[in-house]
Parts: sequence; C-alpha cells; structure tokens
Amino acid sequence: MAEEYLSDQEIKRRNTTHRIKVHSLQLGFAVLLMGTWQILADKKILDPFFYGRPTGVLHQLKVWVQNGTSIGSLWVNAWVTFYEATYGFFAGVILGIIFGVFLARNKTAAEIFAPYIKVSNSIPRVVLGSIFVLWLGLGSISKVALAFVLVFFPVFFNAFQGTREADNKLISNARLLGASKRDVLRRVIFPSALSWITASMHVSFGFALIGAIVGEFLGAQRGLGLLIATAQGNFNPNGVYAAMVLIAIMALSAEFLITKLEDRLLNWRPTQVSGSEL
Amino acid sequence: MNSGSAVKFEKVSKRFRTPKGTWYQALANLEFEVEAGQFVALVGPTGCGKSTALTLLAGLEQPSIGKVTVNGQEVHDIDTSTGFVFQHDATFPWMNVYSNIAAGPKFRKVKDHDALVKSWIAKVGLTGFENNYPHQLSGGMKKRVALAQSLINEPSLLLMDEPFSALDVQTRSIMTDELMGLWEQTKSTVLFVTHDLEEAIALADRVIVLTAGPAQVKADFKIDLPRPRKARDIRFTPEFLAIYHKIWNVLRDEVDLAYQRQLIAPSGKK
Repeated sequence: MAEEYLSDQEIKRRNTTHRIKVHSLQLGFAVLLMGTWQILADKKILDPFFYGRPTGVLHQLKVWVQNGTSIGSLWVNAWVTFYEATYGFFAGVILGIIFGVFLARNKTAAEIFAPYIKVSNSIPRVVLGSIFVLWLGLGSISKVALAFVLVFFPVFFNAFQGTREADNKLISNARLLGASKRDVLRRVIFPSALSWITASMHVSFGFALIGAIVGEFLGAQRGLGLLIATAQGNFNPNGVYAAMVLIAIMALSAEFLITKLEDRLLNWRPTQVSGSEL
Repeated sequence: MNSGSAVKFEKVSKRFRTPKGTWYQALANLEFEVEAGQFVALVGPTGCGKSTALTLLAGLEQPSIGKVTVNGQEVHDIDTSTGFVFQHDATFPWMNVYSNIAAGPKFRKVKDHDALVKSWIAKVGLTGFENNYPHQLSGGMKKRVALAQSLINEPSLLLMDEPFSALDVQTRSIMTDELMGLWEQTKSTVLFVTHDLEEAIALADRVIVLTAGPAQVKADFKIDLPRPRKARDIRFTPEFLAIYHKIWNVLRDEVDLAYQRQLIAPSGKK
C-alpha cells in the first residue's frame, strides 16, 4: 500500500517515460517492416523488379526532386493533384452543407428528392470519372468534378442528419427568446449540425484525393495520378511507392489542419472526439 | 374575473397522434383562468397533460378544439412575450454563460444590452462564470442560466415545466428560494407545472389540481401563506402541513387512478 500520493514530478516522469516507450516502439515497428522488406528484396526472395525496395523508393524520390519526373517537375505535379483535391473538397463541403441543411429543413423537398438521392448515392461514383473526362476533357476540371462528387455525398448526408438531430427544445427555446428563422438557422441548427459536418470532413479530404488521383489515372496531362500510371507502365514499383508517400504526406497535412479547425469550431464540446487518435 | 385575466383556457381539448396511429387525448375541456401577477402551480399525476397546457400557452402547439388566451389575445403562434423554462436543459451548449443570457436581447435587437446582461448574470450569482460553457456548470448553475435567459426579456407570462425536477433535493430547495426572490422582484404571472406538491405550495398563490389525463381541473386551492416565504423553512409550519393534507387528499385519488392505468396499459404513453 502506498503511504503518500505520487509527486507531480513523479507523475510527469512516468508519463514521459511512457511516451518515449510508445514512440520508440512505433519507430522500431517501421524499421522492422522496412528492414524485412529491404532484406527480402536484396536476397531476391521478393523480386525487386515487381516489388521494389525501400532504398529504391528513397532513390526515386531523390531523382524526382533533383531532376524532375518524366512528365515535368515533381512539385508542379504534386501541386496539380493538391489543388484538384482541394477545389473538389471545398466545393463538395460547401454544397453538401447547403443542400443537406436545406433538405433537412424542408420536408416536402426532402420527400421529392429522397429517391433520386438514394439512386445517385448507390452508383459507384468513381465510374463518373470516365464521364467527366469525356465531358470536361483531360484538364483539371474533370478531376475537380470527380473529387467534388466523392466529397459531396458524405458531407451532404451528415449535414442532413446533423440538422435533423437538432434538438427541438433548443429550437423552441430560441424562438421563444425572439429568434427569427435566420437566427434559428445560424445560431441553433448550424452549430448543432457542425459536429456531424466536421466528422464527415475528416474522411472527405481522403475522398477528394482519391477523386483527383483516379481522375488522373483515367486521363490527364499532369498530376501524381499520372505519375503513378506512368511508373506502373514502366514496371517501376519504386515510382508508385514514392508517389504514394507524397500523397500520404498531403492527406496527413490536410487531416492535421481539419483537426485544428474542428477544435476551434467545437471548443464548446466537453470532450474532443476526433479520428486523429487513430 | 373577466377577459382581462392573464391566462384563460376556454373548453380546450388537445389530442396527439401516437406512433401506432391511435389518438392520445391529452386535454379534454380544460377550463381555468389566471389573474395577472399570480403565481399558479399546476399539479397532477404523471402524464396528465400538464406540460401540454404550457406548450399551448407558449404557442408551441395549437389546441385541437377551444381557445387559449394570453393577456386578452388568442394564442396562434409562438408568443415572445412568454418566457419558458424547460424541464430539461435548453441552454445552448455552444454559447458560454454570457452569450446564453444575452441570447434574448440579441435576438430582439435590444441595443446596448451589455449592462443588462451583466446585471442578470449577477442576479443569478454567476459572476465570474461568464466564459464557461454549459457542460462546465453544475445542474443548479445551468438552471440559473436558463432562468436568467428567460427573465431578462421581462416576460409578462412565465411558464415553467417542472424546471427543478432534474436537480437533487438540496439544490432544488435552494433554487426554489432563488426563484421566489427573483419572482418577487418581477411579479410577472407564473404558471409552474410540478409533480411535487410541497414545491407547489411553497411557491404558489394558487394550486390547481388536475385530473389523471385527459386533464381537467379537479380542484383549485388558494394558498394564504404569508410572503416573502422561505421555501426551505415554511414546509415545517402547521399551516403548511394543513394545506398539504387538504390538497393531497384530492390529489391522491388521481395519482392512484393514473398508476392503475399504467399497470393496465404499460405501453400507453411514452
């Protein structure tokens, strides 16, 4: 049995030790994984021609950074994919919120559009990429369109549900306190739907990147998707992995920013529940 | 009493559609009047339609038959001269204490309401907590925010739907006294719905006992206990106990009836 409470320094020390342990084990796991891969590839158990190898990926990245890629500067290609995803993301989030809130507040409109929304949601949306390339050409617009379609639906459904879940008591209370319809929307419904909306934004940026990259697979002049498709065509697995690393960096940075935004918008919540822990 | 009464129910009936598609009769030919400035407690067994009566007064629902009048005007829509304190928390979780209390003046576009808001924060004893969010407050503090949020608009009619029922017994008696203090300053008309007969007698000028649903007026008692009252102490006086016995004798039958019905039809309301 303990005789005294733990001192603050002792608690702090234990927490630090624990964190260091977790981080070093995380690093160890990565080293183990990459090391195994490297060794298997060096010993030709995994054929490096098909499977690539970590040092090969690093080399590929170095070459791309120093000499550019077969389709132009690496930064230009990364930037193209990034802005296609970002435009699609913002367009999808904004329109998803507007339509979601509107349909949730307008019962008749919701009843009219419900079957259409169900049908369009059941179509595998990546297929639309081909249509968009046909309609909008090989430029960025077709990729933005595909990213938009992928982002729109999850945001729309969450905004719809979040609006529907807004507490009727709070709405009644606001109206009795003198709120106009606009006040109710701005000060009650929107804030209560916001935690649903930000939750959908976490997955949505990933969808936007998928939209941009799949769009580039289907036909493009620039972008990381085209870079991957080119590497695949040249039997260059290291190129595919290297592009993947860049995409992962992009997705994680966006996730970081979205979490920051969420923390700011939802600072009134008792516990900050977000996907960033996982 | 004439049509000048603050609140008037004229042969009011209200029914709701249940999820099963049958009708649920909440009120049947409810009739009573309340004079301006009176503090009236509505007591009755569970599910008798007390809360429905309040939602009709606030204009949140419309009567199926009959007429509800507040200050001489028939209620058709939400009436912003009415204040409503809900049973469960209706403070806005995304607004801090200050913004919650300032909500009414802001919605009503009252200019320079900062001093007013601060004075209400002080009146309900929340100075120093202006920047706290509701989840950071205790149950009693949240109720104070709800009271200030409503009273700051100086409602001519204040409706309270079992406002303290979610609080523990001790906090509840403190809040009862605080409500009394605030009401004695404003003297607006109050309709206070409660299960708790003690609370009703301690607070009210008049206690209306409603029948087991659909609600009708079963009996009407005037409470002559002197004011200002201290709810915490008054309940041990012989006068209080005498009134309590008198009202309880009337209420008991209705409570028993409501309970019997629950046993017969366990899947009734709720």
